[in-house]
Amino acid sequence: MSLLVADGITKRFAGITAVNDVHIALDAGERVGLIGPNGAGKTTLFNCLLGLLRPDAGSVSFDGQNITRLPVYRRARLGIGRTFQRVELFSGSSVRDHLLFAHRIRSGTGALWKDVLGLGLPKPDEIERCDALLESLGLGGMGDEPIEALSLGQSRLVEVARALMTQPRVVLLDEPSSGLDRAETTALAETLARIQSEQDFGMLLVEHDVELVASFTERTYVLNFGKLITHGPTPEVMGDPEVRAAYLGDFVAGTS
Amino acid sequence: MTASVLAAGVLEDTIRAFFQGLPIGAGFALVAMSFVLTYKTSGVFNLAFGAQAFISAATYFELHVRRDWPIWSAVLVAVVLVAPVLGLLLERLIFRHVHASSAVAKLVISLGLLVALPELFKLIVDYNREQPFGAVGIIPDGTTVYRLFGRYPVTRDEIAAFVIVVAAALALAALFRYTRLGLRIRAVVQSPRMTELNGVNADWVSSGSWMLSSFFAGLAGVLLVPTTSSLGTVLEPTGYFPIVISALAAAALGRLVSLPAAMFGGLLLGVVTTQMRTHVPRDNVILAELQGPALPYVMLFAIIVFWPAIRRQVAGADPLLGVSPPPPALAATSRSKGMTIYTRIMALAFFTAVGIWTFGYANNFWISRITHSVIFSIIFLSIVVFTGLGGQIALCQVTFAAIGAFGAMQFAQRWDISVIVGMLAGAAIAAAVGAVLSIPVMRLGGIWLAIATLAFALFFHDVLVKYSWVGGSLFHGRGVPRPEFLGVDFSSRENFLILCVAILVLVGVLVILIRESSTGMALRALRGSETAAESIGVISWRSRVIVFSVSAGIAAIGGGLLAMEERLVGYEANFDPQTGLFWLVIVVVLGARTVEGGIQAGVAFVIFPELVLHRWLGLDGAWRFVLFGFAAISFARHPEGLLEHGKRRSQAMMQRMFARRQPTMATAGAAAGAGPPTDAGAETGDEP
Repeated sequence: MSLLVADGITKRFAGITAVNDVHIALDAGERVGLIGPNGAGKTTLFNCLLGLLRPDAGSVSFDGQNITRLPVYRRARLGIGRTFQRVELFSGSSVRDHLLFAHRIRSGTGALWKDVLGLGLPKPDEIERCDALLESLGLGGMGDEPIEALSLGQSRLVEVARALMTQPRVVLLDEPSSGLDRAETTALAETLARIQSEQDFGMLLVEHDVELVASFTERTYVLNFGKLITHGPTPEVMGDPEVRAAYLGDFVAGTS
Repeated sequence: MTASVLAAGVLEDTIRAFFQGLPIGAGFALVAMSFVLTYKTSGVFNLAFGAQAFISAATYFELHVRRDWPIWSAVLVAVVLVAPVLGLLLERLIFRHVHASSAVAKLVISLGLLVALPELFKLIVDYNREQPFGAVGIIPDGTTVYRLFGRYPVTRDEIAAFVIVVAAALALAALFRYTRLGLRIRAVVQSPRMTELNGVNADWVSSGSWMLSSFFAGLAGVLLVPTTSSLGTVLEPTGYFPIVISALAAAALGRLVSLPAAMFGGLLLGVVTTQMRTHVPRDNVILAELQGPALPYVMLFAIIVFWPAIRRQVAGADPLLGVSPPPPALAATSRSKGMTIYTRIMALAFFTAVGIWTFGYANNFWISRITHSVIFSIIFLSIVVFTGLGGQIALCQVTFAAIGAFGAMQFAQRWDISVIVGMLAGAAIAAAVGAVLSIPVMRLGGIWLAIATLAFALFFHDVLVKYSWVGGSLFHGRGVPRPEFLGVDFSSRENFLILCVAILVLVGVLVILIRESSTGMALRALRGSETAAESIGVISWRSRVIVFSVSAGIAAIGGGLLAMEERLVGYEANFDPQTGLFWLVIVVVLGARTVEGGIQAGVAFVIFPELVLHRWLGLDGAWRFVLFGFAAISFARHPEGLLEHGKRRSQAMMQRMFARRQPTMATAGAAAGAGPPTDAGAETGDEP
């Protein structure tokens, strides 16, 4: 039984079927890619997994539990973390606050009565914990920086760190390479791989960047026109002539 | 036989109510359409319409009644000239420059105008509010009654109102459909930036629509006078509140963006109003209220909570919105540690000096003023909590303060319970009311929350306060004793001041604790990005409801203390919803982000009109509404507040100066080490 399973997901918008009977599954600790040209339905499927959209048919389950109708925050509490294509951070907060807050949410230690009694102020062990994660992501010493002072690449890492502080069992990454150049993307992928080996969580990568998917993931799903056209071990998928024709050809034509 | 006679009677009543409802609804429709027009074209939810309508109506009254101008020339000046020019000025001088700001920031500006404009008008025109108005319409012999189909009475005023509104709506529809301006307005609504790329001056289009909507507001202002009871015999800007609320309800039916929906919504609500009056039995107290003053508020609240279209509303998606700089966050910037330390040292010194003066030298008048300042500081901390930390606007803080005051009064009067316990019970009630009130609307947030809370404040003011279990009875009066507890008698001025200061310190510490702990983090997170906060498991509305409830409790404590200080609940003088709007404006202008800002606002609210305006400048106290109202414009650029902004600038300047001098200072040795605490915290608290 896989950890995260989307079974027969179908979603229509005003007569257009954006996602048509798609089945994907992700095991614990696995790195899986989800690729497809623009308009293939990647984002729609992604939002169905997260709970931002409710599918018209099909179900999503996590660890054997049906979560199709759960709201976003409930899924987050079960252990589904995410990052954003357009970086979404908490402006006005420091880098460490992002992690600290995620930690409080996860551990359920934030309550008004504690705040009122002065028990809600950041504790040394919490700060240490946050700084340790920042350190291992290469953001050591940046805990007190205002979030606005960070570069895009660093912001992406803070998003990852924030997601990881909720101790997720799977993290969904929404186009982590967008806005980054080749060197930054490679560095991000290396950091992600390293942190995954330390903390053991599954990753689903929704990506445009085929190179990143090819080098980073173990398995890949390919969507086109809302349908799953193929899936399997990444090297095989990348070598599939149908994929190259339908997707990569399109992709190359689309970017040139 | 009897049944059919009865049925015929009911039918006749229904038809009569229908014809009576149309002119009322026409007024709602007119204001609702102006709301939609400005909201669509400039994203401004213009609560100042009431003020604009008032100015036109008051101008008409000045000219026609007091100066005996003929009707046509008074209408020409008041509606055709003054109203559009006012709209043009507002757009040109104010709203054009805050285009990229958030809807909430624009709402704050319009609140400032709602407070400032009528007062400015009164000061300039020397408007005499005592003189009876006499409900003069713009139609000669407006009270002449005609009978439709020989039996349904309507006045000339009512016919005129209906015909003019329908004509205006048709003209508007034609404008949108057939003219270049209409096409451009529609394009600008979709995407101002994109329209500019096509060679259209979006600013001109925006000016045009503001003039148009202001003209509508002015027209409504004069048309509604004879048909609206809340305008009564004395024309006051607050008289337009119930109409504005009904119009809001009509506009909300079309999610604030559909002109036809606003028009038909207005007519529908007008007819619903008169049908309720006709058919709902009066023997039940609640049903009786529903026919009268409560109806507009209940309708608005119900529409906001239950109308499905509002839930589905998405923020305007201008594809080129990213071209404009991003809107500054609402009171989001953090300040540096050094600045905080510096502020606390200065505050300590200031309060010590004031304390020595108060207890050593001040006379009774000034002790009372200082106590008032302290109490208002407590009340304003409730705005700091919800608006400063939560980044949301609520307009019923004044109601919560009143609940605290009435709580203290009721408990002391009825059950002879200590007034302090009564105040705390009032705070608990206010917190509970706040939670219940906000749960259905908090998900919507932004302007909907502001409107819903305003509706609640007006509902309390027009309906609830008249019940003896809320506002007390004439027989008992509204007296409130000063407290006596823990063996200390707080009835003397000095002792009571000490009690108030102690409570202010407690509340201040509470606010700081909340800000620095989990709840504060949750609010910052939600303000930064609601989607991201939910992605880590935050239940977005719950944190806000909790904070709203806390803020209601704080306001109620302040309200209770105010009643004790004045030894009675001065409801009309202190807790009017209009006053509540001014509270929000003054806190936001001076600094809603910090405890210090709340205290500064409290001091300014009480001392400024007395000391600066009256004694030093010899001006009318009403100037404070004008000054702070217009100062609200600064909110869009300096959400941290004007004083805070000034302080940050001077701190940055000092840091630059010290940075330049540092090499020479270093040779001076010990002197450099004892530098001011400001440059200890090296990072600047810069504005965004």
